[in-house]
This record gives sequence, C-alpha cells and structure tokens, in this order.
Amino acid sequence: MSNLLVNDRDQRFILFEQLGMEKLFTTETFNDFSKDDALMILSEAEKMALNVILPTFTDGDREGCTFKDGNVYVPKSYHEAYKKYIEGGWMIANESPEVGGQGIPLVLYEACMETMSAANVSFQMLPGLTHGAGKLIEEYGSEEQKKKYMEKMYDGTWGGTMCLTEPGAGSDVGALKATAKRLPDGTFSITGTKIFISFGDQDVTGNIIHPVLARIEGDPPGTGGISIFIVPKYKINDDGTLGELNDVHTGNIEHKMGIHGASTCTLNFGDDNKCIGELLGNERDGMKIMFLMMNEARLSVGLQGLSLSSTAFEHAVSYAKDRIQSALVWEKKGPDAKPVSIIQHPDVRRDLLWMKSHLEGIRAMNYFTAYAMDMAKANPGEREKWQGFVELLTPVCKAYSSDKGMDICSKAIDVYGGYGYCQEYPVEQYLRDCKIATVYEGTNGIQSLDLVGRKLAMNKGMNIMNMFGEIGATIARAKNIEELKIDAGRLEEAYNALVDLTMALAQFGKSSSFIIPILNASSYLDIFGDVLVGHFLLQAAVIASEKLKAIYQENGAEESKAKKRALVRSNEDVAFYSGKIASSRFFAVEVLCTVKPRCEAIKSEEMVAFEMADESFTC
Amino acid sequence: MNIVACVKQVPDTEAQIRVKADGSGIEEGGIKWVMNPYDEYGVEEALRLKEKNGGEVTVISVGPARVMETIRTALAMGADKGIHVQDAAFDGADAYTTAAALAAALKDLNPDIIFCGQRAIDDDQGQVGAVLADLLDIPHVSLITKLEFADGAIKVIRPIEGAQLLIEAKLPCLVTAQKGLNEPRYASLPGIMKAKKKPVDVKDAAALGVTPAVNMKVVKFVPPPARAAGKIVCGDDPAAKAKELARLLREEAKVI
Repeated sequence: MSNLLVNDRDQRFILFEQLGMEKLFTTETFNDFSKDDALMILSEAEKMALNVILPTFTDGDREGCTFKDGNVYVPKSYHEAYKKYIEGGWMIANESPEVGGQGIPLVLYEACMETMSAANVSFQMLPGLTHGAGKLIEEYGSEEQKKKYMEKMYDGTWGGTMCLTEPGAGSDVGALKATAKRLPDGTFSITGTKIFISFGDQDVTGNIIHPVLARIEGDPPGTGGISIFIVPKYKINDDGTLGELNDVHTGNIEHKMGIHGASTCTLNFGDDNKCIGELLGNERDGMKIMFLMMNEARLSVGLQGLSLSSTAFEHAVSYAKDRIQSALVWEKKGPDAKPVSIIQHPDVRRDLLWMKSHLEGIRAMNYFTAYAMDMAKANPGEREKWQGFVELLTPVCKAYSSDKGMDICSKAIDVYGGYGYCQEYPVEQYLRDCKIATVYEGTNGIQSLDLVGRKLAMNKGMNIMNMFGEIGATIARAKNIEELKIDAGRLEEAYNALVDLTMALAQFGKSSSFIIPILNASSYLDIFGDVLVGHFLLQAAVIASEKLKAIYQENGAEESKAKKRALVRSNEDVAFYSGKIASSRFFAVEVLCTVKPRCEAIKSEEMVAFEMADESFTC
Repeated sequence: MNIVACVKQVPDTEAQIRVKADGSGIEEGGIKWVMNPYDEYGVEEALRLKEKNGGEVTVISVGPARVMETIRTALAMGADKGIHVQDAAFDGADAYTTAAALAAALKDLNPDIIFCGQRAIDDDQGQVGAVLADLLDIPHVSLITKLEFADGAIKVIRPIEGAQLLIEAKLPCLVTAQKGLNEPRYASLPGIMKAKKKPVDVKDAAALGVTPAVNMKVVKFVPPPARAAGKIVCGDDPAAKAKELARLLREEAKVI
C-alpha cells in the first residue's frame, strides 16, 4: 500500500537489490549496521514524514512566512515539527557519533530524506541548511569554533544558512562586494548585503549562524580573493549564553512562486559597522570551503526534484485509479460502454509510465551518487574511482532531477485535469515547490557548464571513462537475457552516440569551435542524464528479469502466459518486477531512441543561437 | 519499579489483507508488520512511568522470528530489555495459550505493573490482558485513558458510557491501554542504535515449561463477501422515484 509519498518497495529494491548496499555493512566504517537496522530506520523515517512533517505541507504553503518589525515568522506548525525532527536525531544522522550523529550510510540517509522531503520540501530545508552550515565548521573550524558554534547547531538549538548571493553577484560569485575589515583582536568587521538567503531569519531557533562569503580588504578580486566568515545573528558570550544582536538585520523577505514555508531573506550585515565575524579556515580559501556545502546542497536539490517527482507520481497514479471518466475508446460505440477509471485510457497510462520510468531512473541515479560517497569513505583503496563518480554526477543529479521533476509534476497535474490546477489537490503545490530546484544552488545552466567545462575532463577523463565502463557492463549483461535484448540494443545505440559526442566535444573544445560545447552544454547534460537513467533502468530490469524467472519457476508458470498474468495480479513481487522491466522498455523506446539524432544535431555545429543578432530577439 | 509492556506484532492498518486460497490463514507476503497501536500506548505509558519513578521496562512478545522487529522498536523507544517467546507451537495460539506463555515468561520477573493494549487490531479479541492477570493472580483494570502512580498504588481513569470511573489499584496489577492514554513517541535514531545493544531473551515452550493447549481453533478464514453493486433509482418523476425507493427499502433491503 502506497503512502502517497514514496514507493518504499522501489526504495528497498534500489538499496538492497540494485546497489547491494549490504556490502557497506562488511566494511569497518559501517559494520555497526545490518539490513534489519536499515529497514527499521527507513520505517521510522516514514513515520516521521507522515505523522510529523506531512501535516505542515498545506498550512506551510497557505500561511507562508511573514516579516514584521524586522523579524521573520515561519509557519506556526513548523515549530513543533522541528522539535520532533531534532529529537528523532534525523538532522545529522549520517554524521559521526563523535559529533552527535549516528554514522548511518549516506545512501540510507538519502532514502530517508527522500521520504521526508516528499512530505514537505520547504520544511526540510531548515534542518538541511543547519546541517550543511554546521558541517562547514566541523570540517574547517578550529576546536574552539566547533565548541562555540557547531555543537549547538548539530543539536538543533541554533539554525544555519549559507550566504553567497548578492544583488550584483549571483552566478558570478566572484563579483561579490561584501567586505571584511581586520580588527585588532583577530576578528573581522563584516559589511555587505546578501540576498535570497533561505531561512536567513526564522523564529524556530534561538540563534542563527551564517557562513558569509566576503573579501578581506586588500585581497585580490575574483573568486580567489574570497574568504569565509562565521557570523552569528546574536553574539555569543564567553559562557556560551547569547549576547546582543550582531548588527545583522533582515531587510525583507521574498514573495515567491513556491516553497512558501521557507523564508527567503535579504540580510544586511554591518549597517552600523558593528557586525563581527570570525574567519573560518584560511584566508582566501572561502570558495573552496563553501564548495563543500555547495556540493552537498546541489545533491540535496537533486533530491528535492526526486522527492517531489515521487509524491507527484504516487498521487497521480492513485487519482487515475479512482477517477472514472469516459468509456474506453474502442468500446465507445457499443451500447453497454461504461465509463472507466482513467488509468485505463492509453494516453493517461503513457503519461504515468513516462513519470514512473523517469522517477525510478533519477531515484537510482541519486541513490547511486550517495552510495558512491559511502564507498569512497569506506574503501580507501577505491576512493578515487568512487569520488570520481560523485564529482561527475553531482551536476547531473542536481539539474536532471530538477528538470525532470518539473516535467513529472506538470504531468501529474495533467492526470488530474482541471482539479490538478486547483489548490484542493496537492499537485499544483508540488509544481510550484519544484521550480526553485532548477534555479537555486547554481541554475541548471551553470550545472551543465560545470559538467561540460570541468567534470568531463576531471581526473584526466577517468571519471567519465569509469562511468562509461559501468554503462557498457550493463549493456553486456542485458544482452545475455533474451527478453532484454532489444532494450539493451537501444541503450547501446544511445550510449555509443553519447561516447561519440563526448569525444567530439573534447575536440571542439580545443579548436576554433570551442563555443559549441558551451552553447550545447545543457543539451549535453540532458542527453547524459537520459543515458544514465537508461543505464540504471536496464540494470534494474536485468535484476528484475532474473527474479521473475525464479518466481515463475517456483509457480510452474514459465511456459504459460495465462499463469504469468494471474501471478501479476496475485503476487506483489511479480507485479513490481514486471513494472521494472516495463519502465526500462518504455524509457528505451520513448527516450533512448531520440538520443542519437540529438547527438548528431549538436555535432552539426549549428551556431544560430549564438550568432543571431540581439536585435532579432526583440524586433 | 519493575515495569512490563506486552506487545503484539500485527499487520499495518493500511495493509491489504488477502486470505490464503485454502482458508488456512492470511497471505503474509508483502504485508508490513507493525506494533499493535494499543500496545504502543502501553509501551509509552510504561516509559513515562519509568522516567518519573525510576525502574526498568521489559517488553515481551509472543510470535515468530519477525516479532523481534517489534521488540526492537519498543527498545528503540526506550524500553530496557526484551523477552521474545518464540516457538512454532505458539503460532496461531489462542488468547489463553498466549497469556499462559506470557505468564510463564514473566513469573520470575515479579512485575510491579504490566501494560497490555486493550485488544489487538488483527483478531480483535481483547482477552490476553485479562487472562494474563488472572494467571498471575493480580488485579487488572481494562481500557484506561489516564494513569497516576503514588505510594505503591495507581489511580486510573476508565471511560464508560456517559461517564468515567476513577479506579484505584494496589500494585502489582495489570492495566490495558485505550486510545487517549497518551501520544506514543517515535523511536529516535539514537534510540535505534542503542537498542541494538539491549538484551533480548529468546525462550521456547520447553524453556518456559508451558505445553501449548488448543482450547480454540480457527477452522477457516473467509474474506467478507464482495459488496454487491448499488442500485440507482431512475426516472423523471420525483414522487414515483420516492415511492420506488420506499418499496425497495421495504421489500428488498427490508430496513423499513
């Protein structure tokens, strides 16, 4: 029975059957865990999501955040939910027990967070940001700073943010104007304005710790001259109690399309020149340090796309089963034609399978990336390979999951028809909440430039070669299975075209056509994401095919189509595994078949989008 | 204080129950198992009693290997140790046999207070608590919605139709928990990790010295009959339709 947030059967399939995460439990890093523990943690995460977070979903959106007399108030329901979430130990569950966490594998944490975010993505940002900001101090802070700041962030007493963006410095962080002036005691006086700061102010936690990017007076321009500072909202006395306001003021909050429950603040630092910050890490290492948080945040944003896709799809399927409308088109003329549930109409089914296949593919991709982080941590000998996957896939998880997330949420509204556009049903909010994921943490355009401009060539191209190796292995395995041969062939054709295009881009990059990879970066990321999803779906289909074979044998149904059909109805495993094969097959014919011509199109070196005059856009 | 909470593992309230083709039971494949919700109130109250007055909470369950999951959940909520009565002989046991197994397992523990759910949501019999109290020869109060402890005795509230009873009982005694008693806590992650190190004693019928007796046997499981399609009274004349409806209610449905 679905909880309308996530398909927990698919979660468990990817964790245990596809990734085989039990392998982690044999390593020294994770040998405290067993599969039973993992299942129990997943089940508790589901309870927390359904009973504590989900009740904040609608009122968090309708009530939203308010700004009054310089203070920000988040939806009232967030307070109690946050308390319970912290008590449950979820915020830093994956961190080491030495800092108060439980050290659970990241891939398991990812699955828990998928369920939690599916319940209310904007609520989930508050602990998420606090965790990320605390992590910066854990990694780069002095012992004193950890004691002073991190401990109270990790135990939920104080919140955290990330302060990068300024009115004149969005995608171009290096253009920032925030300034840090040295003070005699070694601290810095911070001045500047940061915008779009999620939970920059809120009334849930007693203090808020801002990691702020700023340039120390006299340091060089550009990203290389940026340092990072810890700036608390309230100063902290030597005994740990809160002192006076640290000259950090909220200018306003944004009125947004979605994530209404997450305040988006303009923060003014040092209006009265009394804002004190402590340097975090070394001077001019600000970007390097912030990238730790940014990379994790990018994966979290990918997860938001996944979570919203998941709950949008679960809702759409459930609605399509219940909603009765129109007789089947091939029976319509018959005198006894009766209206049927819309899931029986071909066009609706197609939409649902489009959603299902993309959803399962991005779930596997996001989990795989988290799993790669676990493997890098647990297997020092293979660290380079696994960390390479993380580097390569981070921009794809972020951009592809959020782009497809938008498509899936949009299709969910289509399934509901006019009702889906109305607030009576939740799907319109999923779409509104999802859109920000394609924008923040580096727009998807920036992500594709990161992929094409940096990640493909990283580690001398070894990362992408390793990924290609994985895809090739999946194709080879699937080709040995009769029922998957055609699907494997379709992935192979798309894969070969992608390899070709990747090589071609590298050549373009070195020649006078260097603009081609830049101009087509987002198309490339989309193609790359499609092939990756095709790979994960086919990999799942191989496993599903083997499992099905065993079940059919057990039930003496190998040769009988009728028996197989009966089993699909009576045996949930048969229904599930058959659905995995269907996802892979549909995606192959629907998406993978388009990859080759799209690659050819890029290789044709068409430059019209670059060359057309600005005037032609506007006249 | 020696506190015991009895728990039963039951199918999730949302689970779709399918009866086996031969009627010998239900299909267990694909079912999600949870702690009986009424037992959760009992565990929560046991933990609150311990947190206020000190002592130790033992959680006990009878059932197959999968029941360990439910015991671990109670340990993760904060119980100190567990007893798992596991023996194929107890599979499908009736309420008396289950209570006898519990009584045998708890005898040496000398509990001051035992919490049970007022009934299990799967078979809805509501007997184990009362039988267990009888076998241990201690008083029991059923369906409580409030509990206070002072000076070796408890004061509990038990709702009855149109009123509520305030009942006092000396310890040791057994109470069965009703909805409204409290809001059960969630197992925290630190709780889950700590629970791994808490002891669970697994005992079979021989170790308990109990011979499972078959006092009651389920002959057959039968799913409720599928609901027949509704009937819509058609026509343009409201008066005629009302007349037809009245006739159907009287002659076919026989409700008026």
